[in-house]
Amino acid sequence: SISTKPVEPPQPSAALQSLKTSRFLTIKEASDPSIYAGSALASPNPATNAAVNKKGQSFKYDAAFLLQFQNVFTEQPSTEFQSQVKNLIGDADGNRSASR
Amino acid sequence: STSKDADGKVITVFHDKENFNVKHQLQNKWTLWFTKPPSGKGENWNDLLKRVIDFDSVEEFWGIYNNIVPVSELAQKSDYHLFKDGVRPEWEDPQNKHGGKWAYQYKNKGNVDIDTLWLHIMLAAVGETLEDEEDGEIMGVVVNVRKGFYRIGVWTRTIGKHIPNRGDGDVSGGKGRSPAKGQEVLESIGRRFKEILKLPPTETVEFSGHTDSAHSGSSRAKSKFTV
Repeated sequence: SISTKPVEPPQPSAALQSLKTSRFLTIKEASDPSIYAGSALASPNPATNAAVNKKGQSFKYDAAFLLQFQNVFTEQPSTEFQSQVKNLIGDADGNRSASR
Repeated sequence: STSKDADGKVITVFHDKENFNVKHQLQNKWTLWFTKPPSGKGENWNDLLKRVIDFDSVEEFWGIYNNIVPVSELAQKSDYHLFKDGVRPEWEDPQNKHGGKWAYQYKNKGNVDIDTLWLHIMLAAVGETLEDEEDGEIMGVVVNVRKGFYRIGVWTRTIGKHIPNRGDGDVSGGKGRSPAKGQEVLESIGRRFKEILKLPPTETVEFSGHTDSAHSGSSRAKSKFTV
C-alpha cells in the first residue's frame, strides 16, 4: 500500500540531538584526563592541553587538543546548515553565489 | 538514553560520537560571518556581510568546519570573519573603532595551504591561546580572498592606548595599563600570530590601527608595530 503520510521535515541525527541536549563540562572536568577513560582518547597526552592545565580558570584549549575532535564530530550543526551554506556561499562545484 | 543519565555517567563524543551527554564549552560565544563577493549590482557592504552561525562549544565548531566551504574554494572578494558574539566584523563597530589588527598577506596563492592556516588561526581564537587571560584584546580573526593574495588578520580592541569607558584598571584600554604594557601585549599577540602562521624570522607581520586605515582610504596604512 502507498503511504499517505505527509513529508516530514528532516529529523536531526543522533549526533546533532546529543549536541543540542548535552551539558557543558565544568572547567575542572574539562582539564581532567580521567573523564576520557574508556574512550578513543583514553590516554590524552597532558601536553596536548597544557593551556587548560596551566590555568583552570577559563576554558583554554591548545590546537593539538582541539584537532583530536576533527574527525569525531562531523555532523552539520543544524538540519538546515548545508543548504544554508549552499545558498549563501555556494558549493564545491564552482557554483558560487557571485555567479548567480 | 535514560540509563546513561541515571548514574550521572559522563559520556564524551570520544566515547560515543552519536550519543554523548557532555560537550566542551568555549570561553566565549563566537559568530562566523561571510562576505559575499559583490555581484556588480551596487550592493553596499552591509548587504554583502552575512551572519552564518553562532556557536559556543568545541564539538559545534567542528560541525561547522566540517560542513562549510573551505577558503581555498571561495570566490575572489569573499571573506570569512570569526568574531566574538556581539561584535560586528567592521571597524565602525563601537568595540572595534579604537582598535587595530595584525595582518599578513600571502602573495603567492598557489603556494600556500590557506585552509590549514585559517583553521589554525581559528583554533587559536576559540581555544583562547592568542593572548593571556588578562590581556582582553582579541576581537576576532579574518581571512580575505582577493585576486592577487590571501590575507589573514587578527583584530584587537585597542592600539595599545587607553580608550573611552574602559576605566582605570590594568585592562585593555584601561588607564591603569601603560602604553608600554599595551604595546607589549599587542606585540606578544603578534608573535603568537606569526608562530601560528609558521612564518620564518625573515618575514614580518604588521599591526595598524583601524582608523589609520580608514583615514588613509586604504588598508595599507603606515604600520604602527611589526614583529
